[in-house]
Amino acid sequence: MDQSVRSDETGAATGSAAGRRGPAARPRVVLEGVGKEFPSSGGHGLTVLDDIDLVIEDREFLSIVGPSGCGKSTLLRLISGLMPPSRGRVLVDGAVVTGPPPDVGFMFQRDTLMPWATVAQNIGLGLELNGTPKGAHEARIAELLDLLGLAKFRDFLPAALSGGMRQRVALGRLLAYAPALYLMDEPFGALDAMTKMAMGRELLRIWSRYDKSVVFVTHDIEEAVGLSDRVVVMAAHPGRIVSEYVIDLPRPRDFRAVRLLPEFRALCETIWRDIGVE
Amino acid sequence: MTSPSIETSAAIDTSPSITDTRGRPATRAGWFRLAAERIAVVAAAIAVWELAARTVIDPFWISSPSLVGVRLWQLAVSGDLLWHAQATVWQALLGSALGLVCGVAIGALLARYSRVAAAVDPILMGLYSLPRIALAPLFIIWFGIGLLSKVMMVFSFVVFIFLLNTMQGLRAVDPDLVDLMRSMRATPAFIARRVQLPSILPWLVTAARISVGLALIGSVLGELLGANRGLGWYVEHASGRLDTTGVFAGLVALMVIAVALNTLVDLAERWLVPARP
Repeated sequence: MDQSVRSDETGAATGSAAGRRGPAARPRVVLEGVGKEFPSSGGHGLTVLDDIDLVIEDREFLSIVGPSGCGKSTLLRLISGLMPPSRGRVLVDGAVVTGPPPDVGFMFQRDTLMPWATVAQNIGLGLELNGTPKGAHEARIAELLDLLGLAKFRDFLPAALSGGMRQRVALGRLLAYAPALYLMDEPFGALDAMTKMAMGRELLRIWSRYDKSVVFVTHDIEEAVGLSDRVVVMAAHPGRIVSEYVIDLPRPRDFRAVRLLPEFRALCETIWRDIGVE
Repeated sequence: MTSPSIETSAAIDTSPSITDTRGRPATRAGWFRLAAERIAVVAAAIAVWELAARTVIDPFWISSPSLVGVRLWQLAVSGDLLWHAQATVWQALLGSALGLVCGVAIGALLARYSRVAAAVDPILMGLYSLPRIALAPLFIIWFGIGLLSKVMMVFSFVVFIFLLNTMQGLRAVDPDLVDLMRSMRATPAFIARRVQLPSILPWLVTAARISVGLALIGSVLGELLGANRGLGWYVEHASGRLDTTGVFAGLVALMVIAVALNTLVDLAERWLVPARP
């Protein structure tokens, strides 16, 4: 469905991984002076985002951390084209975003599965919407169910699954859709610590395998540092970027073991300080 | 859509519950017991009625189950029962179908355009609350005393039920699920078919359940006001001749039809709305 978009990306080597790895690869997302206001009762708009400049590179894993109300979820919605910015502009793959761009997938904190559809049908939705030929669905769904350890639950309804499993189904749907950019809005925020750890590890494994760009919104600093190439720290009222850290911890990373490194601890401490919690 | 509900609930919930979430028996034995209990209640009611008619109250007032049974048998054999029941059911079904189509369409429009919905709310509520029987004379002037006036009477009851349920159902659709679909560039038609329609199905089944009773009211009401056919007409005609057995025969026939239609809605629900949390 998105051949045209892929083809203008690199000129030659259309859509191939080799093409995207080229040094000339353009950034996946560019935000230029983006601001967002919501109407409020006082007459003046409530400024949720103020003058955001941000570039997200191809194949980069970027996390955004910040207190609630700093507009990090709004930022994702602007990138996904679900709402327009009040000021500035958002570009995805070089094109100004006016509606949901192709090749971008979203994952919410809530699993947002279709409650009347089985695990397999929910994952299959991603395939339907990216135009995968019907004949290929069955095999791809089976592959993803295996990858996510859901094979036994393929015909279950979401209500019969635990929160962690439901979120894994939502991740499966995202992987089935196979976008070049993952927008993840606190995807593990509602999970318990153990499930969260397992899901983080799984996400790292999958990301290193599929080679996609990720924008990961979280309020968990350890999670952000453990996963990312770069962490952007935001502050609230108005929502703005206060600092940015390149995380040059070695890859491939073990999501749990990496936490024992002194560099990891030092980075987390610095970010805590930026947020204003000492 | 295949329904894995049986395996699923068996795997997850192993507690020995007698009924499922809808209050239906979960086991075959439970089902038989419930059926037996229901038959016993009906039999007891009939027995009390028969006893009363034979001892304390003159059957002139309350007829009796045996008299009613004989009358129903005679009506069935002569073909009159089918003749009248057909008219009543047909009017109810036509009016309901019209009410469903118009109610869902208008409800969907009002859910989509909330400012219009807010603007028309008072008039909608006014019409909804209007005693429909007061409309009957007008309907006869407008639509005559043929089929159309009965169908429109049924429609006037049923359309609001589908309209209000569709509107509420669409407003209750998970907005995050719609956003998720939009982020994957699903077309509005795709979202309507894959999110909104399945979301409102339980609401429509509820509307259908309420409509069964109302549609029969509308149909019979139409017949009472002017007709030459139908169970309502038969009841009216019998009471004019002080024939209580005829009145009760008509009422029993209506009850049986109502129960049958409700059962149809139950079956439709099982088919349309697979087990939900």
